[in-house]
Formats: sequence, structure tokens, C-alpha cells
Amino acid sequence: MRNEEPRPRAAVPYPSRLDAGFHWLLALAIAAGALLASQQAFSNTPTIRLFPTTVVEDLRQTGEVARDMETGLQEVIGKLDQQQQLYLESKCDGAENDSGCQRLARQVGATYLEMLTIMEERLPDMEHTVNNTRISLEKNLRSELGRKMTPWTLQETLIGNNVASSAPQSSPTLRGRSGMRLSERFRQYHQLVATSGSQGDQSLAVLASDIYLDMQETSLLIQRTRQEIARATLMEQLNQSFGIITPEMVEVVGGVKSILFGDEESRALVAGPPPGDIEQAYRSPLEQ
Amino acid sequence: MKTLNRAQPFVTFAGLVSIALMLGACASTKPTCDSPQSRDLDKAIGAVQSSLSNGCHAHFDRYYDDLLTIAEGDPKPENKRAFSEFLVWSSDRGLLSKRQAQDHYNRYFNVKFMSLRGDYNNCSHTCPNRNKVLLDMERELTDKERGLLRVSLDNQGYYRADELFQEVELVLEATCTACAARRQE
Repeated sequence: MRNEEPRPRAAVPYPSRLDAGFHWLLALAIAAGALLASQQAFSNTPTIRLFPTTVVEDLRQTGEVARDMETGLQEVIGKLDQQQQLYLESKCDGAENDSGCQRLARQVGATYLEMLTIMEERLPDMEHTVNNTRISLEKNLRSELGRKMTPWTLQETLIGNNVASSAPQSSPTLRGRSGMRLSERFRQYHQLVATSGSQGDQSLAVLASDIYLDMQETSLLIQRTRQEIARATLMEQLNQSFGIITPEMVEVVGGVKSILFGDEESRALVAGPPPGDIEQAYRSPLEQ
Repeated sequence: MKTLNRAQPFVTFAGLVSIALMLGACASTKPTCDSPQSRDLDKAIGAVQSSLSNGCHAHFDRYYDDLLTIAEGDPKPENKRAFSEFLVWSSDRGLLSKRQAQDHYNRYFNVKFMSLRGDYNNCSHTCPNRNKVLLDMERELTDKERGLLRVSLDNQGYYRADELFQEVELVLEATCTACAARRQE
């Protein structure tokens, strides 16, 4: 029976130390390779640039302009509501020849003119910022989703990397006019976009599309409103001499209130998912 | 003895003729290509595989539809696998190309839409055909309802497909508006 003494530590032969060093280097190389591979895989996933800082800034600015307009109009619209209420309570509807009613109608008309003037002053700023946001988004949508993507890659972007996990966390978006204040809508848009780093590309594509279509609609609405204001102002100046409240006035005020301050009835209902708790683990080799 | 010898060629000829007629009769018998009778999916798949192997390959689409109907009678998540294996078998046997097999599977059992296959960019190809693309997707969603919901009980998968359809509709509307705005400039 051979009795071997343990080798002293210092006596480790040179090739063995080289081996240890080689293994360490190999491990390092493998780790680096894995890191590079994972970075490569990450870089292979499509990254879309839909919200550069200019768009975020445009959204913030639009929200501020909308808030200023609301603040300016809130008081006038409140006054207009009170005057209309008084007009109705005084049973002036149908008694237009009564001098008291005519005076009340002129007061309502003057407040209406005041509202139109405020809108006329504020709308150009609003139109400018909304158009800036719309044009920036338009450019990015065209380039990132329109030209750089095929329908298949667009679908893959929307669905994300993991089909199963993307289901519960999706739908972070607002769908167009959602019955809320205009400034609140832009504030939420800004908040969603500003914190978009934590969201996947799939949410961003939907969000950008939603905001863009909303901006498109808002832009058209502002354009039409501006065209109408000049006509409505002239009409009201003429009506002032007769002291009547036209149905058009009531309609315009109602429309402005709905756009600026939201409309509870138009709040969109969001459908919930159908019940289902079955975990789908199977993946077919044919699946794409 | 001489008479027998003289009759022998005739007997041989008659024998050969009858064998030839029998073989001919066998060769011209067309397979019936009936639908599978069993309500059990595995047995039905077996019957279909047998029919397909015996010259009924022209009826593939009808058989696939029959199998889906049978599976609807006993919906369960495992049905996905059964259909996948059947399609892989069909592809291996050369009844379907690999691409056809993928289409048949994904159209019914995957969240992704095969209608969105395309190699050209959205501005140039998808936008000019947007209505057709969306109509095709809508039809595919009906097939997914059958495959995911009614055959595999994959409610979550079907809900995601439905949501994806709505997202694609919205994103395409915005993207195509943006593409068209460029053309107007």
C-alpha cells in the first residue's frame, strides 16, 4: 500500500496553474459570449422610436394651453348657465316680446359673445400646439410603422415577445374622446408618453396611433370652430339688437362644454375579458 | 388425351383473362373517402390518416373540417397537440407543404394572424389593401374562435387575438393616414 503525502501548495506545477487560469479565462469568455449573445438577441427585437422628446414636449404644451383655455372659459360658461337658468325660470321661453325677457336675453347674448371672444383668442395657440403634436407623430408613425415595418413585423411588435404574458397588462390607452376635460386628456397622454420607458413597444404603437387620430380629429374640430366663431359673432351682434336666444347659441355652448369639460354620458365602456383560467403550455412546432 | 392437350391453351388463356379482369377491377375501385365515423378525436384522426394514405388526399380540407367538428364535441387544451401532430404527419407524408401545414395550424390555434403575412412595407402594400386585409383578419378571427375557443378552450388566447385585431385596426388606421398625408404633401 502506497502512502502518498499531500503535495505542498507551493509545489503546484506550472501547467496546473496555467490550467486553472485557462479555465478561468474560458469561463470569462463564455460569460462574455453569453452577454454578447443576449445583447445581440435584445438588439434583434424591433425597437421603435415613436415618442422623441419633441413629441413629449408638444403634448405637455398642448395640455397647458388647453388648461389655460378651460380656466378662461369656465367662469364665462358658468355665468352663461346661470343666466340661461334665470331666463327659463322667468318663463321667458315663448315671451320674447316682454321687455324684461329681452333684457335677460341680451345679457345672455353678451356673455355668449364673451365666450366666443375668449375662444377666438385662445384657439390659435391651441391649434398650433395640436398641429405640432400631430405632425411630429405623423412623421414618426409613417417612418417607424409605415416604412420600416411589414404587416407581420407590425403584428409581432403589437403582440410583444410573450403572447401569454402580454394579455393582462395591455390596454393602457385612452380611446379618443373619453368624456374627460381636454387638459386632463392631454395630461394623461403626456403622463403615459413620459413614462413610456417602462412599457413595451406594443403599447407605444397603440398609444401613438390613438393620440395621432385624436389630434387629427381635434385639429379638424378647432379649424371648423374657428371658421364658425366669426360667423357666430356676427350673428350674435345682430341678435343683440333684438334680444333673443337662438337655439344655435344653446347648441354651441353645449358643444363647447362637452369638448372642454367632458361629457359623462360619452364615457366609453371597456369590455372585460371572457372568463378563462386554463394555462396553455403547449407550443406546436408549427407555431410561428 | 389429344383433346385435352388441344384445350389446354384455351384454359390458360381464360385463366389469364380472368386474372387480368380481377386485377383491373381492383385497380379501378375508387376509395370511398367517407367522413370519419368515430366521435373520438384520436380514432377519427386515425381513420382520416388511413383514408388520406389510400388516395383520398384531395379531400384534405373536408377531413380537417370534420376533425374540427369532432373536436368541438369534446373541447380540451390537448386537442391543440392532436391537430399539430396530425398536420406534421400530413406534411411528412407530403400531403401538405410545410407552409400549408403552418397555415392550417396557426389560422386556428395561434393568436397571430396569418392574414398579416407580407414582405413589403405597410405604406406601400398594406395601406392600399387595408380593407381587404382587415376583412381577411375578421374571417381568420372566426376560425380562431373555433380553434382556440371551441376546440381548445383557450379563452385567454382567443381574447388576445380579438384584442390584437382591434389594435391592428387602430394602428393601421393611424399609420395609413400618416402614409397618405405624405402623398398629399
